[in-house]
Amino acid sequence: MMILILCLSTYLNIHLNGYCEKYTMIYKYFVLNFTRNIYKNENESVINTHGVQMPKHIVSGLKYLTAVELIREGLSQKEVAKILEMDRSTVSHYLNGRNLSWNSIEVAEIITKFCPKDFLTLTYALVNDSEKTRIIVKTCSKKSYETNIQDSCIGCGLCVDTCLLNAIVLDDLKAHIDSDRCNGCNMCRDVCPTNSIKILEVNNGY
Amino acid sequence: MVTNTKEVKDKDICVQRISPEEKRELTFKDDVCIGCGICSNICPTEAIELSDIGAIVRTGVDEAKISVDEAKCVLCGMCSSACPVDALDLKLDEKSIKEMAEYPQLIKSAEISDDLCIYCKACETACPRDAITIARILPERSDLVTGEIEIDKDTCISCGICEEMCPADAIEMEHHEPTSSDPTVSADINVNKDKCVYCLICKKSCPVDAIKAVCRSCSYGDYDLKAEDAETTGSSFIDDETCVNCGWCQEICPVDAAKVEKALEGELVLDQDTCEACGACVEICPCNVLSFPEDEFGEQGDVLKADESFCIYCGACENVCPVEAINVKRTAVKHTPTKSKSWEKKLSELKTQI
Repeated sequence: MMILILCLSTYLNIHLNGYCEKYTMIYKYFVLNFTRNIYKNENESVINTHGVQMPKHIVSGLKYLTAVELIREGLSQKEVAKILEMDRSTVSHYLNGRNLSWNSIEVAEIITKFCPKDFLTLTYALVNDSEKTRIIVKTCSKKSYETNIQDSCIGCGLCVDTCLLNAIVLDDLKAHIDSDRCNGCNMCRDVCPTNSIKILEVNNGY
Repeated sequence: MVTNTKEVKDKDICVQRISPEEKRELTFKDDVCIGCGICSNICPTEAIELSDIGAIVRTGVDEAKISVDEAKCVLCGMCSSACPVDALDLKLDEKSIKEMAEYPQLIKSAEISDDLCIYCKACETACPRDAITIARILPERSDLVTGEIEIDKDTCISCGICEEMCPADAIEMEHHEPTSSDPTVSADINVNKDKCVYCLICKKSCPVDAIKAVCRSCSYGDYDLKAEDAETTGSSFIDDETCVNCGWCQEICPVDAAKVEKALEGELVLDQDTCEACGACVEICPCNVLSFPEDEFGEQGDVLKADESFCIYCGACENVCPVEAINVKRTAVKHTPTKSKSWEKKLSELKTQI
């Protein structure tokens, strides 16, 4: 069991030090599911009793939360279905609380409250699509950011390659961040060789 | 997470960073590198280290002139822009940044005007990098002279004196051993008029006066000959990869056909008292600027001499000097404009603080 948990923590890019409490729920979820799992073979260990891959389960939860938020923002079910690339009927089912275990939603809710970097990297790892990740992350997190690139930027493009949300472009050997796309993960700031990136949270919605 | 990969082939280096957005590739050609260390000076992440150039030039240590730490390199391209000999090149999606207007480029060039060039090959001989090739087409000898020549074969005794004396190898005899059926020494004798320069040596040396010849270059040259036929034509070629824009061709050209523009300007300061005449600087200098001229007794001298008209102020000599007897002061770095303040700053830092 410990091996499984370790594998999972690696998969989720979770650092055990100091963050344990926050992730307890997730561990419980996975552990619970694993104890119920029917192991077909070593390589398909992430399979629950319904034969559905577990990451997909969490993605459903995230999509549910995104759909609810988008409806609240005034979008129609049709528009939500298009944005999330789902059937309209699935959206309708989601919104009515069907076809989805409460567990997935609970886990997804916890994920949305992670720090921006963890929320983003986990969602990206689950969804594996930049645009969908951006919609989920930007819809479920109400924070906005002010971005500033200093003149010390050398235009190496490392931030461009790092940004999972494609929020950064180079222009005349200087990076430019689209603050509307930025989710404040600060991964660009961490890789910047000249410490030229400053990102400030400006409007805490919570 | 995007990471760099490095490939080393012989002494050439290739560092790559491939992401879904872009492929960045930095290449280093060791045979082009002059070991000046400008790349290592300008690198904002200290990823480039200059090797022990002294050991490489003097003792032939078999290693690349620089090393690139792929863990530190961010593939920004500053080294590529600042390299005075284009040994480093950064390509973004296979396109060199040297072809991109947003990247600053050193303003340097070397050109030979084919309109002015007289194809004397002085530049080809002088070029310290063997970067110049002059291909010339000489005029036909027969287009430069005019005259008439005839050999009276009945009078000719086939002695072969004319053939032996002809400076242009224009007389051709068919020799054979005399036999009882044909007791002569030659079957035939002819003059190749494409080769004959009408010098009249054959006529004067013939013991039996069998040759009638006259030179009309002086009297009828203006009518018989065309001036343009006497011109040497050709083409010049400078290999941009090996050329370091040192200016030798410009200085040596007798007709000012070569024009060289240098990116770096400055001053070369030699401290003769400190210099130990080891010669490392002479060996590393890519421009043959430095020398130890022979003294009055024809012995190898020990006073370092520099001719700055050939200097590109790369600083290789200063780096290699073991006793710090050379100081290369750079006063100007000429480059195309850039909107990036950091690049502007980094390039201007190549100037030495005075």
